[in-house]
Amino acid sequence: MEFGNSGSLSEDGIHLDMDRLKKGEVNLGTSIMAVTFKDGVILGADSRTTTGAYIANRVTDKLTRVHDTIWCCRSGSAADTQAVADIVQYQLGMFAMTNGKPPTTQTAAAIFQEICYANKDRLSAGLIIAGWDERHGGQVYSIPLGGSLHKQTYAIGGSGSTYIYGYCDTHWQEGMEEKEAVEFVKEALKEAIKWDGSSGGVIRMVVLTAKGADRHLYLPDTDYKVRHST
Amino acid sequence: MPGFDFSNYNRNAALHARGVPLPKATSTGTTIVGCIFDGGVVIAADTRATSGPIVADKNCEKLHYISSNIWCAGAGTAADTEFTTALISSQLELHSLSTGRKPRVVTCMTLLKQHLFKYQGHIGAYLVVAGVDPTGTHLFTVHAHGSTDKLPYVTMGSGSLAAMSVFETQWTPKLTEADAVELCSQAIQAGIFNDLGSGSNVDVAVITKEKTVLKRGYVKPNERGQKLKSYIFPKGTTAVLNEKIIRKEDLGNYVSVHELSTTEDDAGDKMEVDA
Amino acid sequence: MTSIGTGYDLANSIFSPDGRNFQVEYAVKAVENGGTSIGIRCKDGVVLAVEKVVASKLLKQGANKRIATVDRHLGVVYSGMVPDGRHFVDRSRDEALAWRDTFKTPIPTADLASRMGGYMQAYTLYQSVRPFGITAIVGGFDSELELPVDGEVGSGPAVGAGGKTAGKKHGGPFLYMIEPSGLYWGYYGAAAGKGRQVAKAELEKLDLGGAGELSLEQAVKEAARIIYLSHDDVKDKKFELEMSWISGADGPTKGKHQEVPKALREEAEKEAERLAKKAVEGDDDDDDDDDSDDDKKDGDKMEE
Repeated sequence: MEFGNSGSLSEDGIHLDMDRLKKGEVNLGTSIMAVTFKDGVILGADSRTTTGAYIANRVTDKLTRVHDTIWCCRSGSAADTQAVADIVQYQLGMFAMTNGKPPTTQTAAAIFQEICYANKDRLSAGLIIAGWDERHGGQVYSIPLGGSLHKQTYAIGGSGSTYIYGYCDTHWQEGMEEKEAVEFVKEALKEAIKWDGSSGGVIRMVVLTAKGADRHLYLPDTDYKVRHST
Repeated sequence: MPGFDFSNYNRNAALHARGVPLPKATSTGTTIVGCIFDGGVVIAADTRATSGPIVADKNCEKLHYISSNIWCAGAGTAADTEFTTALISSQLELHSLSTGRKPRVVTCMTLLKQHLFKYQGHIGAYLVVAGVDPTGTHLFTVHAHGSTDKLPYVTMGSGSLAAMSVFETQWTPKLTEADAVELCSQAIQAGIFNDLGSGSNVDVAVITKEKTVLKRGYVKPNERGQKLKSYIFPKGTTAVLNEKIIRKEDLGNYVSVHELSTTEDDAGDKMEVDA
Repeated sequence: MTSIGTGYDLANSIFSPDGRNFQVEYAVKAVENGGTSIGIRCKDGVVLAVEKVVASKLLKQGANKRIATVDRHLGVVYSGMVPDGRHFVDRSRDEALAWRDTFKTPIPTADLASRMGGYMQAYTLYQSVRPFGITAIVGGFDSELELPVDGEVGSGPAVGAGGKTAGKKHGGPFLYMIEPSGLYWGYYGAAAGKGRQVAKAELEKLDLGGAGELSLEQAVKEAARIIYLSHDDVKDKKFELEMSWISGADGPTKGKHQEVPKALREEAEKEAERLAKKAVEGDDDDDDDDDSDDDKKDGDKMEE
């Protein structure tokens, strides 16, 4: 694919081209984020999947497991991000079996990055990798469109993220309690959903700690107040 | 001369340069749906195939066999849905034979998505995959670029919006088999009547743990009725204004005539046949 | 070797009726004739040492190194056929690099040992190849710190992540020895080659293991002493002592595999030579005055 003239520079100088989707492709016009907190890390996402102006799925699960306590948030092309996540899930499963120990979040991030960078001309995938492991605790890595890798304390992504840079910068704190972190993610995503037309539906979260993965679901029916069972 | 003949390549390139468009593949401007119920899954489709503005087939089949317990509804390019489902059906049967297990819906979905992703959307197959396997009842959509979704009720094709409006208003979490069949049928009919790309009849497939039932022509809301009048014209309806007879021997005055010999020897190149 | 000449020793991939692979056993013989190499894993690092037999006076002193660096944190030494060892090192480097390429992180010592064990084992299976004529000793220091992923942009956040399991140690010094059969184990002290019996007996006396107190610098001196002690001045050719070490990030080599500095090596060598001489003289005496083991808790006499 040719590089177009469209796009903008993000705050760290990375060129983001927003017109990379092929015609008729399923898009995850998205709000995604991942946040480290006291006991680990939380991933969060809206649930809207679009094809052009049509919502192809209003209850999408954009939080994808690649290992027991390593997950990723997907944004961009649904087909591309699913394909990449499937490959990484396979690789990490293989790693765990051959080495007799679970992979670290770093290993997962490295494999994700290699795929995203080697195929940068063919993919439209914006990923956030978050995981917990015994050695490093909770970690967040962001892999934007070009395939670079950034370690962050928290990361936001997708079209909806542009509306919540200020909110997150103001409200994020180091070493939050789980309850605080869940509230932070929820409030940030509520703002993103409110302002971004391509984001919407339910709010999904995954909490990753020493205890494993814990799923949260919040519905607009109850104004995102009540935690529902998944 | 043996071998391929590429002479049309230059002709096609010249035509293309003059702005003649490529012939369009038959596309199933379509309504297809699927819905899970207590104990199984229903998929349904309309039966109209179109080629541009022309209805190419008034009663085509859009429900494709994968295995006895897995069926697919296809939208998009007719040839692509037909051959993709046939290919994956074959692979799945071989896989089932080698593992000695019943084929699973996720396996089918994974094979489909990996095949379609490999072709980057050039294979225009949009599918609803449904089935019952030892792990339970499953319903997926697979898009041409290789993305998949898992939902309790799904619609695809040009009539998907009309069909989805039916699901979004009528669907409830606990449905009986009869409810689900009726709901899918209503969804397809919404497509048939409100979408130009969809039409003719409703085909339904019901898959349960015990058996699969294909209801071809479950509803036929577009049967051609008896015409009120006969439109056959009686002989002599067209008036004869004048008449001129040209005899065979005078034909040479109008066109050049070559008499062909009927003997075998000089009948041109003979076709070679293997001895 | 009573079965020599029965035909079962002609190729790999053929067992003798009593379940032996003679080719592998012959490879072990090749190792037993090689210069002694040892490895010591102590509390804060690993030391590798080798008795480099000087085949000719025309060879440049201190050149033609026998200990190789496989990755920043990994060293390999071997006894036996040197060209086989060179190939082993080449392959180890390929494995270490391949690991870095896929996982963007240094290969743990245990994983390198596993890969190379598998590689050597493969050479015991086929008609077309012979086993490696070496026993290799692999030493490494897996970082105790959290390393960034190779290729990560920037230095990452200043604040640490939460949810770590407290009080758990990671990384540290590791030592493995891989034999021609492909068999490998983790060791605190490893020895191979001509003088392995003497060396093993000496290694057993060191304060290694779980709560071992031997320091890295002491281990260097012990390594030099053991190589000198295992060398037989009368029977063996002249030799050069080659030593390398690996410490953690806060130690003298900062996590890297390096040659032991000349000053330290010479100091260790001087003392080793003195002790070895004393041991030989002690052996000549009818009554052992125990001087050779004066730095040991229990002055066990060496036996063979």
